[in-house]
Amino acid sequence: MLRVSDLAKQYGKANRPLFSALDFAVGSGEIVALVGESGVGKSTLLNCIAGLDTADRGSVAIGPQALDIVALDETARAALRARSIGFVFQAFHVLPTLTVAQNIGVPLLLCGVPAGEHAPRTQALLERVGLAGFAARWPASLSGGELQRVAIARALVHRPALLLADEPTGNLDPRTADEVLALLLERVREQQTSALVVTHSQHVAQSCDRILTLTPNGLLESGCARQ
Amino acid sequence: MISMRGLPATRMRALSTLSWWLIRAQFKTRRAATLLSMLAIALGVALGYAIHLINDAALSDFGRAMKSVQGDPDAVIAARDSAGSVPLATINAIARDPAVLLVAAVIETRVRIDNAPTPVRLIGIDVFSAMAMTPDLLPRQDEQAAAPNILDGGVYASPALLARLAQSAQDSQSSQGKDFGTRAGGTLKLLRGEQQWLATLAGDLPVARPDDLLLVADIAWVQARFGPADGVSEGRVRLAPDTDLASWRQAWAQRLPPGLLIRAGDDDSARVSNLSRAYRVNLNVLALVALLTGAFLVFATQLTAVAQRSTQFALLGVLGLSPRMRLLQVLLEGVAIGVPGSLLGLALGYALAVTFTQVLGGDLGGGYFAGSAPLIVPALAPALLFLALGCLASLAGASYPAYLNRMQPLAQALKTGFAQRPPADARPAARSWRYAHSWVRRLPLLPLLLALAAFALAQLPPLFELPLAGYASIALVLVVGIASAPLLTQLLFGWLSAQPLPAPQRIALQNVAQAPLMAQVAASGLIVSFALTASMVIMVSSFRVAVDQWLDHVLPAPLYLRSKATPLPLDLLGALAAPAAPFAKVERMANAALTIDPQRPQVALLIREIEPRDPAARLPFTGPLLAPPAAMPAVWISEPMAEIYRLAPAQTLRLPLLGREVEVFIGGVWRDYGRQFGAVVISREDYQQLGGNFQPTDLALWPLPGQQAQATAWLAPWAEQYGLEVADSAAIRRLSLSIFDKSFAVTYALEAAAMLIGLFGLAVTLAASVWLRARELATLGALGFDRRMLSHAVMLEGALIASVGLLIGLACGIAIGAILTHVINPQAFHWRMALAIPWTAVFAGAVITLAAAVLASRYAARQATRLPVAQVLANAQ
Ligand SMILES: Nc1ncnc2c1ncn2[C@@H]1O[C@H](COP(=O)(O)OP(=O)(O)OP(=O)(O)O)[C@@H](O)[C@H]1O
Ligand SMILES: [Mg+2]
Repeated sequence: MLRVSDLAKQYGKANRPLFSALDFAVGSGEIVALVGESGVGKSTLLNCIAGLDTADRGSVAIGPQALDIVALDETARAALRARSIGFVFQAFHVLPTLTVAQNIGVPLLLCGVPAGEHAPRTQALLERVGLAGFAARWPASLSGGELQRVAIARALVHRPALLLADEPTGNLDPRTADEVLALLLERVREQQTSALVVTHSQHVAQSCDRILTLTPNGLLESGCARQ
Repeated sequence: MISMRGLPATRMRALSTLSWWLIRAQFKTRRAATLLSMLAIALGVALGYAIHLINDAALSDFGRAMKSVQGDPDAVIAARDSAGSVPLATINAIARDPAVLLVAAVIETRVRIDNAPTPVRLIGIDVFSAMAMTPDLLPRQDEQAAAPNILDGGVYASPALLARLAQSAQDSQSSQGKDFGTRAGGTLKLLRGEQQWLATLAGDLPVARPDDLLLVADIAWVQARFGPADGVSEGRVRLAPDTDLASWRQAWAQRLPPGLLIRAGDDDSARVSNLSRAYRVNLNVLALVALLTGAFLVFATQLTAVAQRSTQFALLGVLGLSPRMRLLQVLLEGVAIGVPGSLLGLALGYALAVTFTQVLGGDLGGGYFAGSAPLIVPALAPALLFLALGCLASLAGASYPAYLNRMQPLAQALKTGFAQRPPADARPAARSWRYAHSWVRRLPLLPLLLALAAFALAQLPPLFELPLAGYASIALVLVVGIASAPLLTQLLFGWLSAQPLPAPQRIALQNVAQAPLMAQVAASGLIVSFALTASMVIMVSSFRVAVDQWLDHVLPAPLYLRSKATPLPLDLLGALAAPAAPFAKVERMANAALTIDPQRPQVALLIREIEPRDPAARLPFTGPLLAPPAAMPAVWISEPMAEIYRLAPAQTLRLPLLGREVEVFIGGVWRDYGRQFGAVVISREDYQQLGGNFQPTDLALWPLPGQQAQATAWLAPWAEQYGLEVADSAAIRRLSLSIFDKSFAVTYALEAAAMLIGLFGLAVTLAASVWLRARELATLGALGFDRRMLSHAVMLEGALIASVGLLIGLACGIAIGAILTHVINPQAFHWRMALAIPWTAVFAGAVITLAAAVLASRYAARQATRLPVAQVLANAQ
């Protein structure tokens, strides 16, 4: 689960804050879409939640222990990410020098899962994302949709409490985008993970439990299509 | 979970797996750069380790050799003048001292056996004291042969000498059919100058060292035949166990007559180590330079590696790799280069040491320890030390890239890639420009101040008799060069970008201006390597010019003849004086050695037939030439002697000559590149007037006009018969210059290596900076630039960076060349010379390097533009 309270961020020279006094929560197993105009600060918000960027004020509580990532130092943030957060980017960001299986195994290494469990868990997830025969392949030989499926598997393999996705299907053609997104949501529901998904696609937003719209004046909660 | 110490074992293992994956990938994708960095580290370690091994072996070998012949006395009493002796009265006085257990008197001289070319050490011992003092010299009587024992005049040969005798007997069997002296009972003819004595070989020296050519006889027997009449060469003293050695030695040092000295074991080792100290330090500095270039290569490699993988590391950061692990990973990669590199270096160093001692002997070709090939025995501690040094160099090279990697802002690195400077988060953006601005304005001040400091350091006197301040000054000059690169880049590119230029050139200029770190790294490598190379070329050329001029002056005669270590035979000298000899003039010279300081190598005493009113006709004086006051003999000292003992013309000097201290007047200082530890010239008249016995060993010969060939033919039989060396001045000159060139050959190899490393650094950084801009170049391609335009732009960029590097490198090279010539050489070796810059060679080197740099950038451009534009754009992250 995720609880954001009174979060504020302003970039150095800007004359007004990007956002301030943001308050919202994502419940356990809940999938929330984050939409808004380009440049409004969605990626920045996600980065602040993941501790890649530092908020000026407020708190971000993550996981069952509700650790506040804003208050942690860099090392502790990294450790919290390793344990509790999965991240999917618009650009696939797969390590080109590791095989598909090794790429997916990296989070397991980082959160200290015993070595014996790596292969079965990786293999199982590869099957779930439809890449059963791909374990030993190198990323350079995969298509964009396949790469994004590897990235999804990597984001979920360590069963994080929170999944953050920044336009996960923005780089894919509409058909592949639909497939990949359906897969992502399916896996997230299956693992009971909370998820915050930034998207420009109305279609994607509609498949989430709830939609939050970021505007220069704050967050707007909008109706939930699924209910 | 956060601190390393808190990590559970499984997590540690997991992290090391990840680490290993990354290292392996890194080595696989950057094979050439990684290998070269490893090799450079290996080279530095190998050089340093080899120098250490060789020197260590040579010193301990020398120590063992000393012990074998001299035993292990508590003190040695000897004459300061190699022509002098220790009076028997002194030996007897010491023997009566109650603290003395034993005094072993020894007479040592050099003789030839039946005109064999190599002289042999003849040692006269007292068997009874030798039993206690020098057991290695104890003779073994051959019971089979009917030969006298040692007290009745038997002589004993070391195994090496016996083998040598057997060999020469075999060689001469056919011509003379004479068999003597090769086994006990045989007769040996011993020659020394005009003296000839027959001796009976009575046995061998079973425990003499394998390569010592020794002949041992009874001390009284030697004294009766070769002198000295009322003295011995040395008295070796063993003291009672409870005596305080130092104070005993001090007390006796004051009571001894002035011509004698008292030596201790430490003096011997200090003297031996002083022999080659400066030479060794010089080589070690070269090793250090090699190690530093290794560090530079690791730096360039790791910096580009970090830059190229910035997105990957940012991603790993998102996945939860801690900043500390990101730092550690790059350091680990440095160690992964350093450890194999250093291990290879140790192996290489050992191989080098073994090869060098086989080929050149224990002094690395420096000419300090004659004759022996010492055994190389590696010990663990120094090997570990050099291993650590190699790893340290590699770690040092990796440390800034590691720091940059730790400081990369994750979100930004994912979006736009590598940030060349750590983020300036802390300070407000508005002020950072002002900082940069004032920094830029203050920039010329920093190099200027450093340059001043370098200049000041170069003026300092030696420390511990080593030019340490000079070396520091050289390091500072290099820093100045590197620090002034941004300035010159700004000036040059500021001016260039104001010119109306076609698009590709404009792009190249912008790239250099916008990627200051990469350009700076590439330029630094060239600055350092070109500066070092140019400076070595300048120093060697200055030295060679000086040696050339010096040889002109010190080789006035057309022909030279010398015997090795024993006086020339009197019949030859007589024949030369006869009118039938085809010579217009003959000048004779004798050699001796004086101990001025027992801890330093001896000073050569050259007794020459020189015109006392015009010594400048024979000696290349460096300063004024002064006439001595009446009734005081004049000497002319060499430059090294003046510097080592801080002497100047017009001073008087108390020379330990002929068993007493003689006050002499220093008439002048002359240049000498031949004897590093000093030499004194005295005229034959003065020497004989002081009571010296003039026994010439060398001759300078002027044949009658037009009779050069006859003269050489006239000398040939003499040379044959007495094993003398005859050479004309042209041959000596050629030989001297070829020895000079050979001894600097190793520096040429290092220069070539340095240039290669500099060029490689340029290629690596250029390729990386092009790689980092692959997307940008591809975008330009998509916008309609063709490949040729793009690769021209990259080549121009390389040429611009290289020109900046070469320009600064040349300036630094001249400065360093001047420091080497005017500071390092005089302080380390007491060689002074004028600066002679070989402009053609230096400029040719610069042009070749520039061409090579353009080629290297062509390669980088090829790599970048080979990829199809679409693929680059599609892969862009
Ligand atoms: N490092 C930075 N320094 C200064 N300003 C920044 C920085 N990163 C982003 N911004 C600014 O902050 C604003 C929000 O950026 P952000 O990337 O969060 O937008 P976004 O909502 O994700 O937009 P998009 O939908 O286009 O991805 C933008 O106006 C951008 O210019
Ligand atoms: Mg965004």
